Amino acid sequence: MNELLDPRKTFGEAVIEAAEKNPNVVVLSADSSSGSGLGAFPGRFPGRHFEFGIMEQGVTGFASGLATTGKIPVFAAIAPFVTARPFEMFRNDLGYMNQNVKVVGRCCGLTYDQLGPTHHSIDDVAIIRTIPGVTIINPGDPVTIKKAVHAMISHIGPCYMKIGSPKMPVLYPEDVEFRLGKGIVMRDGRDVALIGTGTVLSKAVAAATLLEKEGISVRLIDMHTLKPLDRELILAAAKEIGKIVTVEEHFIAGGLGSAISEICSQEYPVRIKMIGIGDHYASNGPYEELLGQHGLQPDQIRDTVIKFLST
Amino acid sequence: MDSKEILKLEYTALNIRRNILRLIRAGGAGHVGGALSSVEILTALYFNLLNVDPGNPKWPLRDRFVLSAGHKCLVLYATLAKRGFFDASILDTYGDLDSPIPGHPNMHKLPGIETNTGALGHGLSIAGGMALGLRMDKSQSRVYVLMGDGELAEGSNWEAASAASMHKLDNILVFVDRNQLQISGRTVDVMNYEPLDERWRSFGWSVRTIDGHDFEAIIGNAKEMPFEKGKPSIIIADTIKSKGLSFAERKVNYHYWKATPEEMEQAERDLDAIEKKLKEKI
Repeated sequence: MNELLDPRKTFGEAVIEAAEKNPNVVVLSADSSSGSGLGAFPGRFPGRHFEFGIMEQGVTGFASGLATTGKIPVFAAIAPFVTARPFEMFRNDLGYMNQNVKVVGRCCGLTYDQLGPTHHSIDDVAIIRTIPGVTIINPGDPVTIKKAVHAMISHIGPCYMKIGSPKMPVLYPEDVEFRLGKGIVMRDGRDVALIGTGTVLSKAVAAATLLEKEGISVRLIDMHTLKPLDRELILAAAKEIGKIVTVEEHFIAGGLGSAISEICSQEYPVRIKMIGIGDHYASNGPYEELLGQHGLQPDQIRDTVIKFLST
Repeated sequence: MDSKEILKLEYTALNIRRNILRLIRAGGAGHVGGALSSVEILTALYFNLLNVDPGNPKWPLRDRFVLSAGHKCLVLYATLAKRGFFDASILDTYGDLDSPIPGHPNMHKLPGIETNTGALGHGLSIAGGMALGLRMDKSQSRVYVLMGDGELAEGSNWEAASAASMHKLDNILVFVDRNQLQISGRTVDVMNYEPLDERWRSFGWSVRTIDGHDFEAIIGNAKEMPFEKGKPSIIIADTIKSKGLSFAERKVNYHYWKATPEEMEQAERDLDAIEKKLKEKI
């Protein structure tokens, strides 16, 4: 059994580590730092934490202005409120102005399970990836969350990072190599390429194990960077395997599967099955059961893959 | 201020208005009303108030100017050209494919532009972040902002206004170009935000109201920033939309002007008349 860790706590610890190394790191809060694992930041770095109250549009603009003076603002809050709500500020003030701001959508996907569609964030990748120059990172375990934070702070340019809320299993050793824009092949195989991202990466990992038991050889890929997408790795999977299944806690429209299809359909058409949320709002209820409503549990992923391979 | 100094600024303002006409001649049309109403404010900023170096536009110790009402960019281009940030011949590219002077400013295309604005209600937040960052660095630099009065209906401004006062950003000075008109009509009829002074005061700002075409009032008041220690300052500048063009002043349909040849000729005669009056003052 893999160790389970709190992604927000892990994220907050990583930001504090990064801030210790880099004096330009500042944190902006829309009444959101304590819920983002950053409760210790103001005490640790007085004068580098700014509270704004619940005004995500304003904070996004302030972050842009701070970045013009060389600061590296980290703004973490509930995912839909840093993406869908201030979208124009994200697009114009961060993207178009190309500012070195790090926006973090926490409790992403369906992790605000019971709170319903206003608090779900299953469109964030779709909308943010339309913004030129923004790097989108969606790490799938605590080890890569930590690495992603450091990579994001070192990268110059606007970034959007997603983290969930329920405890996540550790999937990687501490020394795993993590590079922005480069997916990780977690296991190699020849029958199907199973590409997962973020909060449901562990489901894809478990599904791969179930598939192996069925005699199906899986190339399992962690696509932790959704933009820029690892084109080379995707085309290799398309050419060498020819069948791709994507797994994401996001609308099928505009997410990981869509982005991969954009590459494959133009450069090397292959069959792709996308597992995610269809054209409807997700319901409310316990998180694991919500995932089950969208075919995102390991046994469901296994069954979908088997069916896909048999047709 | 002595009268010579003011006369010099008035001449500069006239030349900036001539540059605005030059832009319209090149592009055929543009947001001229709010550009002309804020000529004196921009002239005062770039020829008196702002500590900037056209030869070193990214100088870290410079003061910042944020044009929140990005559609007023004609006055910014006209002023920056006059101040020497770039060659005035660039003004003749307005409307051309890939011109460095688009219909809303782009900081990546032209020296001296601090922000990409155009969508309203963004500038004040960005300026607030600049002011916060400069204060962290213990910089003496100041942040100046120009907003339109119609723009104030964007709710995001009031988020920024609250945050600037909450964080005691007294290194920021906003000018509101209160020309009282927006596309659909009088601002008070479209969405009334008056009384502006009381509204801003209630948001924690220190407020003054002036004639926005009076250099002594603009510069004299701006030099007293912060009006109150620990508070952001704002000047509500009463102005005349399309100031300087006899046929367009205070007329709502010149918010965006598609110039006819006759109007352009009249506009030139109007500016010649202003020049004649200035010459009489010498």
